[in-house]
Amino acid sequence: MYGINTDKALIMHIDLNSAFATAEQQAHPSLRGKAMGVTNRISKECCVIAASYEAKALGIKVGMRRTEAMAICPDFVLLETDPPKYNDVYRKLIKIMKTYSPKIKMKSIDEGIIDFHGMEPLLNGRTLEDIGYEIKQRVKEEIGDWMKINIGIGTNRFLAKEAAGWHKPDGLDKIDHTNILKYYKERKLTDLSGIAERYGARLNAYGIMTAMDFLKAPEYMLKKQVFKSINGTYWYQRLRGFEIDDYETSLGMVGRQWVVKDPSDKDDYLLPCLSFLCETTGMKLRFREVEARGVAVWVTYQNGEYWHQRRMHKSTFYTNQEIYRRALELFNNRPHGIVRTMGIYTYMLTPSQVSQLSMFDDVTKVRNITKAVDEINDFYGTFTVYSGTSIDGKKIIKQKIPFGGTEYFDLLLKTS
Amino acid sequence: MDPTIPINEIVDVVPIFRGRNPDLALCMPWKMVYGIHEVEFKTLGMRHPTAKGKRMIHIFDMSDGINDYRLEFDAERLIWKLISMVEGHSVRN
Repeated sequence: MYGINTDKALIMHIDLNSAFATAEQQAHPSLRGKAMGVTNRISKECCVIAASYEAKALGIKVGMRRTEAMAICPDFVLLETDPPKYNDVYRKLIKIMKTYSPKIKMKSIDEGIIDFHGMEPLLNGRTLEDIGYEIKQRVKEEIGDWMKINIGIGTNRFLAKEAAGWHKPDGLDKIDHTNILKYYKERKLTDLSGIAERYGARLNAYGIMTAMDFLKAPEYMLKKQVFKSINGTYWYQRLRGFEIDDYETSLGMVGRQWVVKDPSDKDDYLLPCLSFLCETTGMKLRFREVEARGVAVWVTYQNGEYWHQRRMHKSTFYTNQEIYRRALELFNNRPHGIVRTMGIYTYMLTPSQVSQLSMFDDVTKVRNITKAVDEINDFYGTFTVYSGTSIDGKKIIKQKIPFGGTEYFDLLLKTS
Repeated sequence: MDPTIPINEIVDVVPIFRGRNPDLALCMPWKMVYGIHEVEFKTLGMRHPTAKGKRMIHIFDMSDGINDYRLEFDAERLIWKLISMVEGHSVRN
């Protein structure tokens, strides 16, 4: 009736919920069953970046400030992040997933996809639910007995993710054409992955108030009126279980941003931090083996205003010094004001040409010194040797846990 | 608040090498002498490797049933260090 995909559900979504908090409870038996969370760096106004199930049950949410969490639970335990620990969990999870299919894709540090298309003959008649329960058991045995994962099975990535969130924690569900309507009837519009407040409001404006209304909406209306783009067609297909999210994204920009620890308008304070952001951006560029032609700098001010400037260059660059020199030219043009957040990104990326010989001696020297510094840092630990302009910045800025992607995890581990 | 007590001291450790179930943890600390205290570990919370430069470090999060201990084994210098501990009674919620 709704044109639902009737294919066999062969996409499995694995979600290590409350991953960092659960990993800490795994490591600290005394914290198990307790309201606890993890933050990047403990300070008076720091945020909870992961909360245990017990903390969530009390109403403590991710993103909540420490003071708010303490008001809800005065004995709330907050630990600082431990990237090597989470990386170990991540690697063990990948290892388990790879034993079932070569087609796995980690969506972030705590969730991934196993695509079983083409693997049916190797399943020996086992259902994906069977395999799901086996994975749950293996996670307990190979990572830790406190670790809990949600598993969802669907005909596409969207439905598999929805299924993984159906019965948290420790759930295992399948959504296909037999129960998809039941699922949508139970859901609110904003419960759907990818539909937050703004999209929800847009859909509401066209009379789409529930997940079922969303499913019933004609493709033409979604494309031409609601989303006013091809996204409408994508949502129409996604909701029906057709795969449209299986694509590789190309690397568009590389950069780093930072919430200024003590908002300031002083160059003495901001410039070393900008230099440090440029150093980490340079490291990321070289880690991804690309060079950039464009650089952009942006700033948000205490009064809520935003400023940014970008510039394209004729030649490519990848060294920390080149990035800083170009970024500094832009940063010095900023309007005066107290800076709250600042960031830099490089764009127009092309594959690295470092292996090509240069005709110019000074270019070769710069390449050699960058290579030598990278080798020293690789051997003795990142930031063993770094620019003098970054000394104060390095003291102030702390390396963060990457939430979105896992591309820089190996790089992060070197710095932790 | 963070109940972790930083210690950072070299300690005496008696490790146990397990051959029967090497997939879980081939080697792990069994007993530790810290000051005048002898601690016998009951639970391995987690073990994970990390690196200090090129030095391989194995981190063991252990529990004696009451307190949690974080131990580091430096695979190059062959020393055990008690990095920190969490006193079980300090976690009240």
